[in-house]
Amino acid sequence: MEALMAVAVGALVACGVYLLLRARTYPVILGIMLLGYGVNLFLVGMGRVGAGAAPILTEGTSDYVDPLPHALVLTAIVIGFGMAAFIVVLALRTRIATDTDHVDGEEVL
Amino acid sequence: MTLFLTVLLPFLAVLPPLLVRRHGDQRSRLAGLCAIPTAAALALVVAAARDVFAGAVPQASVAWIPSLGLHATLRMDGYAWVFACLVLGIGLLILLYARYYLSAREDLPRFFSAIMLFMGSMLGLVLAGNIILLVVFWELTSLSSFLLIGYWRHDEDARAGARMALIVTGVGGLALLGGVLLLGAIAGSHELSAVLAAAGSVQQHPLYVPMLVLVLLGAFTKSAQFPFHFWLPRAMAAPTPVSAYLHSATMVKAGVFLLGRLHPVLSGTPEWFYIVSITGMATLLLGAYRAMFAHDLKGLLAFSTVSHLGLITLLFGFSSPLGAVAAVFHIMNHATFKASLFMAAGIIDHETGTRDMRILNGLWRHMPYTTALAVLAAAAMAGVPLLNGFLSKEMFFAESLFIAEMRGLRPIEPVLAVVAGIFSVAYSLRFIRIFFRGSGTGMPRAPQEPPRFMRIPVEVLVLVVVLVGILPGLVIGPSLAIGARAVLGGDLPYYHLTMWHGLNLPLLMSVIALAGGTLLFLVRRKLYAVYGRVHPPVTIEAGYQGVARAASAGAAWLTGTLDNGSLQRYVLLLVGMALLAGAVPVIGRFSAGALPRTPVDAVTVAGTLMLVTAAVATAALHRHRLVALIAISAVGVIVSAGFVRLAAPDLALTQLLVEIVTILLVLLALDYLPRRSPPDTRAASRVRDIGIAAAAGAGVAALAWGVLTRPADSISRYFIEQSKPAGGGTNIVNVILVDFRGFDTLGEIAVLGIAALGVVLLLSGVDLTASRQHGEVARDRAPLFLTMITRALLPFALLFALFLLLRGHNLPGGGFIAGLMAAVALILHYVASGTHWTESRLRLRYRPLIAIGLLTALATGLGALAFGHPFLSATFTYVDLPGFGEIELATALVFDVGVFLTVVGAVMLMLSRLGEPVPESPADAAFPTEAAAWKP
Amino acid sequence: MSGHLTILPVLLPFATGVLLLLVPGRSLRLQRAIGLAGVLLLLGVAAALLAVSTQGGPRVYHLGGWPAPFGIVLVLDRLSALMLALTAAIALFSLLQAVQGQDRSGPLYHPLFQLQLVGLNGAFLTGDLFNLFVFFEILLIASYCLLVYGSTAPRLRAGVHYVVLNLAGSSLFLIAVGTLYGMTGTLNMADMARKVAAVPAADVPLLHAAALLLLMVFALKAAVAPLYFWLPSAYAAASAPVAALFAIMTKVGVYAIVRVYTLVFGAAADPALGGLATRWLLPISLITILLGMLGAVGVRELRRMQGYLLIGSIGIMLAPIALFSAGGISAGLYYLVHSTIVMAAMFLLSDLIAKQRGGKDDLLVQGPAVTQAGALGLLFFVGAIAVAGLPPFSGFVGKALILSAVRPTGWMPWIWSLVLVSGLLAIAALSRAGIRIFWDVDADDAPVAVRWRLLELGPTVALLALVLGITVLAGPITLFLDAAAEQLLVPGEYVRAVLGGAP
Repeated sequence: MEALMAVAVGALVACGVYLLLRARTYPVILGIMLLGYGVNLFLVGMGRVGAGAAPILTEGTSDYVDPLPHALVLTAIVIGFGMAAFIVVLALRTRIATDTDHVDGEEVL
Repeated sequence: MTLFLTVLLPFLAVLPPLLVRRHGDQRSRLAGLCAIPTAAALALVVAAARDVFAGAVPQASVAWIPSLGLHATLRMDGYAWVFACLVLGIGLLILLYARYYLSAREDLPRFFSAIMLFMGSMLGLVLAGNIILLVVFWELTSLSSFLLIGYWRHDEDARAGARMALIVTGVGGLALLGGVLLLGAIAGSHELSAVLAAAGSVQQHPLYVPMLVLVLLGAFTKSAQFPFHFWLPRAMAAPTPVSAYLHSATMVKAGVFLLGRLHPVLSGTPEWFYIVSITGMATLLLGAYRAMFAHDLKGLLAFSTVSHLGLITLLFGFSSPLGAVAAVFHIMNHATFKASLFMAAGIIDHETGTRDMRILNGLWRHMPYTTALAVLAAAAMAGVPLLNGFLSKEMFFAESLFIAEMRGLRPIEPVLAVVAGIFSVAYSLRFIRIFFRGSGTGMPRAPQEPPRFMRIPVEVLVLVVVLVGILPGLVIGPSLAIGARAVLGGDLPYYHLTMWHGLNLPLLMSVIALAGGTLLFLVRRKLYAVYGRVHPPVTIEAGYQGVARAASAGAAWLTGTLDNGSLQRYVLLLVGMALLAGAVPVIGRFSAGALPRTPVDAVTVAGTLMLVTAAVATAALHRHRLVALIAISAVGVIVSAGFVRLAAPDLALTQLLVEIVTILLVLLALDYLPRRSPPDTRAASRVRDIGIAAAAGAGVAALAWGVLTRPADSISRYFIEQSKPAGGGTNIVNVILVDFRGFDTLGEIAVLGIAALGVVLLLSGVDLTASRQHGEVARDRAPLFLTMITRALLPFALLFALFLLLRGHNLPGGGFIAGLMAAVALILHYVASGTHWTESRLRLRYRPLIAIGLLTALATGLGALAFGHPFLSATFTYVDLPGFGEIELATALVFDVGVFLTVVGAVMLMLSRLGEPVPESPADAAFPTEAAAWKP
Repeated sequence: MSGHLTILPVLLPFATGVLLLLVPGRSLRLQRAIGLAGVLLLLGVAAALLAVSTQGGPRVYHLGGWPAPFGIVLVLDRLSALMLALTAAIALFSLLQAVQGQDRSGPLYHPLFQLQLVGLNGAFLTGDLFNLFVFFEILLIASYCLLVYGSTAPRLRAGVHYVVLNLAGSSLFLIAVGTLYGMTGTLNMADMARKVAAVPAADVPLLHAAALLLLMVFALKAAVAPLYFWLPSAYAAASAPVAALFAIMTKVGVYAIVRVYTLVFGAAADPALGGLATRWLLPISLITILLGMLGAVGVRELRRMQGYLLIGSIGIMLAPIALFSAGGISAGLYYLVHSTIVMAAMFLLSDLIAKQRGGKDDLLVQGPAVTQAGALGLLFFVGAIAVAGLPPFSGFVGKALILSAVRPTGWMPWIWSLVLVSGLLAIAALSRAGIRIFWDVDADDAPVAVRWRLLELGPTVALLALVLGITVLAGPITLFLDAAAEQLLVPGEYVRAVLGGAP
């Protein structure tokens, strides 16, 4: 399980970084999103992935998973969404202003 | 305190000149304005003479930065007194001279303001009683001289000369700062009096040599010593009053002043002797030699100045008592005759319109009086008896013999001294020649005697030159004594100030110098020819220029190459650094933890595989935009499924809803991004990127693996225990969000809100319709039935959102999820019915909604303050609500409502602005022109 | 109320910002009035907190009344009080400049400005690592908006770079924080300090990695080599008041470095962790000095040059700080204060000058006579002296303090030569710029008709006056900073204040 988790996180981060290194805004945006997924998964993992009930108090359950990372990730997801929305619009606005979708705002060959 | 007043006085006249009204001939007004404080300061200094001559050392101090050992301490011993007199006395004469030299059409306020700034700085420098304070004034003289040299800003040479002087002396100043900080640290105090007393400990200290080198760098650059001499001739682009003041009498003397100032503590070591005296000797000879061949009148004087400064440096280098006396004596003498020579040169330039010695001729016919003065001064420069220059030069010869004897440097050292003497006689004769050769014609202007008052400064100085020459003991003796005593920091050696010491070796050397000089002068033509050939093609100055140019070009190249404006490179650097930071500590030391591994089930394996596949697909197919978008939404869905697997229902819900909204957003945006872009990077760099990316992924994976396999012990037990009793909710995550860590949540909705505002900001004043890439795709109406269904469903969807909100505290749900739910419902509605229909039905203005949401959350937090609890303290009670069963009304719930409203507002604001080309409300429209904005 | 004073620097701009959102965008005058009032109040609060911080140890504010380490805490010590005061001051003058017209080139300037302050102040106050992340995000998203404000092509271009790099940085931040939580099981910095001090040897490498990743995040914010490339374009493109405000932005990174690597990974931690900041930060900051100053010599536009000078100054302040000695930190902090104020002034001034050079704008080439060469030239001269670290202004004091602070260490030769060389390069760059702009006048090029009213020069003059102020008052200021440094180097006091007496 731990291994799978590590693999999943690693794959997401790797693909995210690769896209982050592209020269066009759209792939970069995708990269940021993938990176976000990876990081969130990573964060959840920091509460360990061992067995444990969902952090909703119920009678007769004593073993819950660590709820704190969930809260952190929820925060991270929402912040990430805000950031993603901003850069999406920034990208299209830049495209309108500079007439290119190159991340440097000009066609470099 | 009078000391502070003395130093302050010149500064008082820095600003006024800039404020006097600029019309008519301001020259007298300005000169007068500056002369008053100067005279006053001079009076104060002279008044202090009694104490100083009596051996007292007036001192005043105010603490400035104790931790640095920097106090505003002023101190006037004999040496400082002598210099103060030179600075102010000659300064006064210069003001009078400048009044007549400068034309009324020039930007005079700037000149007088700068000259007073310099005068004050120079005065502060000589009176400083704290070596750091000395550096402060030291650099101020460099800065003010920069303004003065560049005074004629339209002149390229002036600009270049000013900058060169600033950089060379500036570097020296920096070195000096380092030097004095070391010196102070070694001596245990930066107070001059303490430093001067610390000779023993300083010279024993291991850091003595580096410190000495730094200090000497300062002194040598300032006093134009070889190999830093080249800036001084360049500085001749300054108006002559400036040259006469800064570059003969005062600023360039700062370097040698420092040598004398620190003589008691630094001199006497072999390092000092060799570095200082060799530099001095080299400068003495080089200056004399170059002066021999200068054709510009001021150029000749400049190189002569270099030479004489070298002489003074050499004398200090001897680090013998008589050497010091001679040095101080020559400082005074040189100041007087060189200042007068510069003024004379200025008059000649003024009257004839040229400074070229090949053109100037027969001046005595037109200006006999000036001629007489100039010739006397020049004779002093040559070291002719009956004039002050002769006396100090005699001392120099005598001392050089003595030192040569002592150090076994005979005969080289005396011979070199004589050679220098010969050259100085020769160039002095060249100077004198312009007055007498030829008929006095063929010059740009027909010269005549200058205005009466312009000559007075010269007369005064030449008078001093002669009086000192004839009656040295009477005129200069006492001042020299106190000056030298301060430099020696003890008793004076025996010396006899008189013009006639009887027939002795020094006299013989003088005679040789005079005779040889005359001879050299007579055969100069041949020398010129030789000079033309042997003169080194690469001068030090050319070297400096080359280095400067190369450095500037190199900097430009380096900067351009590093900062090439490519985001890809910057990201690469960031990732690279992160890899480095992550790898270095772990490599070779990595160890997995001992936590028993959790068993794996097939579903999870399959899910992980799908996740990886989808991620890779996104990366691989990113150029097929829609495909990539589908792939990434698959990733999102699987991740939320993963959250379920990891027992995080809230996360799963949030992730899913965010997914929907994000994808929708990107879909809308895709309308404005080109469908296809050229393949961005070369295959090679793609391979490299894959490598980097793989490494990054592996790194994070390893990190995760390392942590995941270690037993955990976190603060969360507290949350699990306290959630119900203290937080009043069973959904621990939600309780953490709205209560335990509500501050985070407040911040995060702020981020969301600002992001929405950012979208408004970016899209304000843009006509999106015009920028669409492909037609009206997104404007097509949805099929009717969908419209119908969504319209019907909307109320229920919103109700469900409300339900999620209310139950959030105990079961999966809460502000975010509810907010996103509502948003999604509304969006569907937009898609189905079009923005206009929707907005006209439900009058939602989203920007205020955000504000209200944030305000609600904020107010909830502030409520606690009213009850004296810290911000965001929550409380709750239970009520029975039909339909929902027992729910509790917690302030946390109100807070969550705030979250809900903000989320709805933010999400809708973004999407509606993007979906709907016209600005949401006039309030958000940009102010197209200044005119459109409010009128004051 | 005094009990709640600590949280006001966050709440005040927050409330002001939200309030401004409800004010219709058209009534700019009202917005300006509210905005300025808010900043003035903030300045008062900051001053009060500065006074409070000198009384005894750190003051802790338990949000929601939850005990540390479970709830989030705000901690006010001398350092945070200093940063708050500095921020408020810079904000005031930046805003005073902005209300002269630059806030018109789009909507929402004033709310965004206030929310920017929320992020900054929160970052300076919080004692919780994840909360620090949240406030970083607030100040970042706000700075994105302010940077692209007006949506001109250069701003958008610079914006894309700035945003993408910082988003990557944020991911890195989360990974680091996550790892630290995974290893220590806490987010509260004081608590983390304890846990780190007691960590088993086997866990050191992972913690070490996390600590370094965090360092990289802060280094990116602080614009340290090789992560500074976003800065010159961004600051050159931003409107002058925004650039001036951004002068404080990089200092958040510096602050975070000082805070985290004195508290969490301080002397108490495992030696491998304790010294890591020095090992990495010192070489990096020295390189930053060199590259920054060379950049200043190399570029051909005034605004970009200021950006590089700023980068260089970051290196200069970090080098002594990286020694984590009382003297070093104190000297570095003095330079931080100096550099922030003077660079803010220079960004405002560069714009005032450029706008009087017509088409030549801020290009360092021969151009028309600057319309108000007298006044602007004088201001530039003063500012340049301060930036280059020449007497008699604070730059000189700062460098002198740094030089004498690092003297006893083995790093002395390096730091000394680079600090001194930086002075030389700065002189070269600034003298060239000054000469090109004010002396090398093209008589044929007709001067521009733009003339500044005294009011428009006000903020610049005030900032330079402030430079003079911190020079004259350097004595008391250094005393305060020494105390601040001492406080930082005895984290035990901080930890006890947050977690209570238990050892």
